[in-house]
Amino acid sequence: MQTTKAKSELNLFDRVLDLLSLKPLGAIGLVILVILPLVPPFNQEYLIRWLCAAALIAAASVSFDFTAGFINIVNFGYYAIVGLGGYTSAILVDRFGISPWIGIFVGALSAGLLGFFLGIVTLRLRGIFAAVMAWFMGLALMGLATKAVWLTRGSLGLRVERLFDSPSNLPYYYVILAMMLVTYVITKGVTRSDMGLAFKAIGQNMDAARTSGINPVYYRIVNFTLSCTLAGLLGGFYAHYYGILTPEMMHTSKTVEVLAVAYIGGRGSLWGGAVVAFPFIYAMEMVRSSLSNLPGLNLILYGLLLILVMIYYSGGFAAFFQQHFSKPKNIILYYLVNGKKTA
Amino acid sequence: MITEYLKKLYETIRSVAGITVVLAIVVAILSSIFRGPYIIVNTVVTGGMLALMSIGLALVFGVMNVAQFAHGEYFMIGSLTAYYTFIPIERYLGANPNAALSFLAPLVSILAAFCMGALMGVLSEKLIFYNLRKRSRTNWVMNSFLLTVGISVLLVNGHQLIFGTELKGIVRYWTGRPFCIMDVFVSRDRCYAFILSVLVIGLFWLFMKATRTGRAIRAVSQDETGAQMVGIDLSGIQVLTMALSCGLAGIAGASLLFMFPSYPSVGLDPLYMSWFVIILAGMGNVLGAVVGAFMVALLKVLTMEYIGSGWDFVVPTALIMLILIFKPNGIFGSDVRGVLEQ
Repeated sequence: MQTTKAKSELNLFDRVLDLLSLKPLGAIGLVILVILPLVPPFNQEYLIRWLCAAALIAAASVSFDFTAGFINIVNFGYYAIVGLGGYTSAILVDRFGISPWIGIFVGALSAGLLGFFLGIVTLRLRGIFAAVMAWFMGLALMGLATKAVWLTRGSLGLRVERLFDSPSNLPYYYVILAMMLVTYVITKGVTRSDMGLAFKAIGQNMDAARTSGINPVYYRIVNFTLSCTLAGLLGGFYAHYYGILTPEMMHTSKTVEVLAVAYIGGRGSLWGGAVVAFPFIYAMEMVRSSLSNLPGLNLILYGLLLILVMIYYSGGFAAFFQQHFSKPKNIILYYLVNGKKTA
Repeated sequence: MITEYLKKLYETIRSVAGITVVLAIVVAILSSIFRGPYIIVNTVVTGGMLALMSIGLALVFGVMNVAQFAHGEYFMIGSLTAYYTFIPIERYLGANPNAALSFLAPLVSILAAFCMGALMGVLSEKLIFYNLRKRSRTNWVMNSFLLTVGISVLLVNGHQLIFGTELKGIVRYWTGRPFCIMDVFVSRDRCYAFILSVLVIGLFWLFMKATRTGRAIRAVSQDETGAQMVGIDLSGIQVLTMALSCGLAGIAGASLLFMFPSYPSVGLDPLYMSWFVIILAGMGNVLGAVVGAFMVALLKVLTMEYIGSGWDFVVPTALIMLILIFKPNGIFGSDVRGVLEQ
C-alpha cells in the first residue's frame, strides 16, 4: 500500500522510467545512442555498421548475463542458440516465403524451445558440468549446421532476405537498438521481481535455496527459456541484417566475445555489458583498422582484459561505477544516477 | 587364490566400467573383422596421442580443480616449437647428412616442445592462477575456467600476431618405408608417435606411483588440506602439475606435427577430443583417461567408417551429452566431482 502511494506521487516521466527499469542517466545514454548516427562523424555507413554490431553484442551480453550472472550457469553454447534462431528464421523465409518479420519471432520461439530443453537437460548438473553441457550442445548444433547441407547449404553460407530493401544501415540500427531495450527491460523486470531474488539464491547456494522453499527446477527452466528466446530473437536480426549465415557464426569464439563483454561490464548487473559494449567494440575496431599490420592485436587485448578483470576486479565496470559514482553529493547528479526515490 | 582373482575380475567386468570396456573391445574386434583390421590400427594409433592430451587435462582437474579450456593452445605451442626446432636441423642435415642425427632430430624437437610447454605452464600458473588463488577462492572452478578461456584467446591471437596464420607443417619426421602391421600400411611417423606416447605414459605412471613427488601430487589431488598438514609444499606441487600437464600437451602437439601443421587454432580439435575423453572417463580420473582415450578414438574411427567424415564430430558430441545427463561423473567415476559442482 505504502509503495503504490509513493509511486503515484511520482510524475509521469519518472513513472515511465521506473516501468522501464531505467535510471535517468540510462535514459540520457539511450537518447544519445538514438541521435548518434545522425551526428557528423558517426553518420558514415561503416560507422553505423559498427554501431549495429556493438548494439548486437550489447543486447547479447545482457541476455547472456541473465543466465551467467544470476543462476550462475555460464551458457557456453550461447551463440549456437543465436545461430539456431537465425537459421530457423532464414530457412522459413527462404522455403515458405513468409515475411522476415514473422520469421524472426518463429526463430525466437524455436530457440526458446531449445532453451527449455537445455534447461531440463542441465537440471541435474551444476557449475562447470552445466557449462560443458551447453558448450557441447553448441558444438553439436554447429556440426549439424555444417553437415546438413541440403538444409543450410553448410559452409557455403545461406543467403537470407534482408529486413529492409534500402541499402542504408540506419533502419537496422534502430531495430537492434529497440531489441536491446526490449531485452534489457524484460530481463531487468524479471530480475527486479521476487523471481530475481530466487535466481540469485539458486546461483549462490542451490541447497540453501532449496531448503528455504525455492523450487530450482522451475526457476532454472524459466531462466534458460527466457534467455534463449531472447538469443533467438537476436539471431533473427543477425540473419536478416547481414544477409548471409555460415556455421562459423555459431562458433565458441563468438560466445567468448559476448562473455568477455558481459564480464568486463560486470556480471549480475545486466546494464554493465550494454554500457561497456559500445566504447569497447569501438576501441577494438579502431585498433583493428589502424594497426592492420598487426592482425589479432585487438583480440589479444580482449583476452588480456578478460584475464585482468577476472583476477583483479571481478565485479567489472558495474561494481566500479557502484563504488565510485553511485553516491554523488550534488542533488541533480544524484537524481541522474539513482532516479527518484520510491517509498 | 586363483578363484579369488577370478571373482574380482568378474566383479570388475560386471560394473558399468567393465561392461563399457568389454563392449568397446567387442565392437572393435567385430568391426575389424567385417571392415578390415585397419580400424583397430587406426584406433590404437589415434588413441595413444589422445591419451597424452587427456592425461594432462585430467591431472590439472584432479590436482588444481582447473577446468582447462586452453589445453589445445599448449598443444599448439608444442607443435610450433617442434616446427622451429626441426626445420633448422633438417636444413643442416640436407647440407651434411648424418644417419644418427636424422633419427634423433625429431626426438630433440619433441623434447624442446615438452620444455616449452612446461615453461608456458609454469608461466600461466605463476602469472595467472596463482594470483586468482591468492585473491579469492570463492567459485574457484568457474572463475578459473573463464581465466583459461582468456588464456586461450590470448595465445591463439598471440600466435597469429607473431607467427602469422599460414600453415607451418612438415611432410614427415622419419624417412623410410612405412611399416606393415596386419596388412595395413602405417607410416613410420605414426608408429613412432604411438611408441613414444606409450613410453611417455609409462614414464608418467612410474613417476606418479614410484617417486615421492608423484605421491605428493596424488596426495594433493585427494585432499589439499591434509596434504599441507603432512608438510607438502602446495604451491610447488601446483606449479609442477601445471608444467607436467602442459608439457604432455606439448609432446602431443610436437609428435603429431606431420598430421596437424601448426596454425593459430590448431589446438581446437584436440581440445574437444580430450574433453570428450575426460567427460567419458570421469573428470580428474587420470588412469580412466587413458582407457577413455582409446574408446573415444574407436568411436571417432567407427563414425568416420560407417556414417562419413564430418559426422565424427556430431556423433561423439551427442553421446557425451547423454553421458553427462545420465552419468555425470563418468563411467570410471571420479573423486573430485563434489568440488567441481560449486
